[in-house]
Amino acid sequence: MSDYNQDEGLSLPSNHQQQALALWLQQLLQEPSLPDVPTSLPTPRFDSPVELLFQGNYHLHFYQQLPDFCMALLSNDPLAAVHYASLLYHLVSCHECHSAYLDLYDSLRTAVFPQGVRPILGQGTRTLDATPHRMLGHLCQTLISQAEALLLQARHDHSDANQPARALLQLTLQISAHIVQGTTRREALHDLVRVATLFDGAPASQSPDSDAYAYSPALPGSSKVRSGILRSSRRQPASQPPDAPAIQLRARNLDGLITQHGKMLELHLQDLDQLLQGRFLCINVPLGSLFEPVLWRGGNPRSIRSTSPVDPNGSLVTPLGETELQLSNPEERNMLEALFLLLQVRACDQDAG
Amino acid sequence: MPFTAHDLRYRPEQSYPLLYAYLHRNAQRYLGSLKYDAFEVDTVVGHVVEQLVRLGLFAGGDSSPKNALDHLSDAQFYAFLSRSVHNKAIDRLRKRHFPISTSAELESTERDEPEDDPMEGAATSLWGSAPFSTPEEITLHLSSQLALRNVLKHCIQKLQAAPNQLQAILHELADIGADDLLQVLSEDFQLSLPSSNPLNPHLSQHKDHAHKKIRLCLQKESSNLTVTVALRLCEYKHLSHETHEYTVDLQTLAQDDLSVDAVHSALNELVADGLLSWHNGEEMVHLDSAQVKRLTRFYKEE
Repeated sequence: MSDYNQDEGLSLPSNHQQQALALWLQQLLQEPSLPDVPTSLPTPRFDSPVELLFQGNYHLHFYQQLPDFCMALLSNDPLAAVHYASLLYHLVSCHECHSAYLDLYDSLRTAVFPQGVRPILGQGTRTLDATPHRMLGHLCQTLISQAEALLLQARHDHSDANQPARALLQLTLQISAHIVQGTTRREALHDLVRVATLFDGAPASQSPDSDAYAYSPALPGSSKVRSGILRSSRRQPASQPPDAPAIQLRARNLDGLITQHGKMLELHLQDLDQLLQGRFLCINVPLGSLFEPVLWRGGNPRSIRSTSPVDPNGSLVTPLGETELQLSNPEERNMLEALFLLLQVRACDQDAG
Repeated sequence: MPFTAHDLRYRPEQSYPLLYAYLHRNAQRYLGSLKYDAFEVDTVVGHVVEQLVRLGLFAGGDSSPKNALDHLSDAQFYAFLSRSVHNKAIDRLRKRHFPISTSAELESTERDEPEDDPMEGAATSLWGSAPFSTPEEITLHLSSQLALRNVLKHCIQKLQAAPNQLQAILHELADIGADDLLQVLSEDFQLSLPSSNPLNPHLSQHKDHAHKKIRLCLQKESSNLTVTVALRLCEYKHLSHETHEYTVDLQTLAQDDLSVDAVHSALNELVADGLLSWHNGEEMVHLDSAQVKRLTRFYKEE
């Protein structure tokens, strides 16, 4: 498309007034810029995570119009600029969207008006397991970030994006299950709980709460040295064989464990505060509603009541729900572990108050 | 099996490994000396994947509107992906400050296609540069096109509720010599030209607030929509010899590209601005000659 002519259609002859107005418009539209970023990048380590292109400067509404706008220009649509006037005004003010526009225009032009040899088609029988885990982690972060952008845009537009955001987060869980390395998986899911509970009316805080214990999965092989005493971070329940698959949880200095009996997931807590002894606990699994393969006890993963009170030793064992997924299957275990990225526990009567 | 844009939209989990493999091959091809740097290759691949997610294509399902990418043929879609990788590879080479000698180095490597040199075509293209390639070019276009300049007028008009801010903008327009626009605005608001008024001591503050409001207004879809409908009212009005009023029906205003809801919304905006008298539910817009004159003067004449 070489003959796009801005003097066609409704244009007026260029004159001094138009140029002065253009300059004024540019100053008006360009918001104060952020501090300059360094122009040269440090040499990254080979295992550094791949950073996202957009860190809070993604304008979903405008960005998603870009392909159609580019195609309208490539098709010589004389009204392209008029139909996309608000986008054009935005492109003046947004460096990221303007760069994306130039990139997309160039790529679409190459696609529509090919020069030379066509690229080879994609082939292969690759699987997620054979894909580098760093890239699976990057994809998870991208999907979570996109889900957040959808929710924020919907709030701005007074619309509902829960279903598409939820679909992206479910896909994230499925893909993360293929990441074998625990730390990579944890990094990939770093923002999952925050985004999944963004506007659900009951934000799941991960900050310290005097009334609640916030458990999350412990990294494999972690052990802590506290007060000069080396303590194993995992204490297997007596009813479980030593090598039975389990998800180990930690809440500051407390240990917890999720085990499985048949289909039933069971929560084991120990060293709970004296104030909780003899009381029933309410368990909140914020990501529980994201994940349908678990039938939660009581039906609400945000409020699962323990079947018994905390015993005099500060321990509690209580069922959480049933699932076909098996902790003995590595992928299914990873998915369940992601589900328990945050598990909050508090006395049930505190909820009522 | 090759993947398609449809697969990426509806079967993301299955198609991602294939997409990754395809992008990876292309990234190695275009990264020249960086082709063995796993981080750089993955960064290029990651940026293209993120672009596809952000565009609503990858994992977009039915909830994300289909766009031009969905309508490309398979061969065109692969060409699009390949070129996207090419562009991202050039970004990385530039960011890593690879010297131009990289090109020479690349030329000595095995090449199966002329495109293998990533720097080739980076500065110039066979088709020339893209339209709107700089913010300057865009603003010149915006200020020289009547239909687009009407959106600016509409947004300045919205400042009527804040007379000091409106006055600050009129001052600015006078300062830059935008006399034609200033004349239309002043007549419409029945304001004296700013040069005849004493300078407001808080002019700078009012100007900043006005800029922010205009900036937001210009980027709102509804502003463009309102101007579009106002222009169509001017263009398609029909004089009834019986009632001596002008009328336009809603379907004429909607044409093929606007929904009836969008027309309703724009008409309500014009009513709020005092330019029309129309009520929700009416299938016809009635205009008296004074309203037509004002609409035409503001949105069409200059």
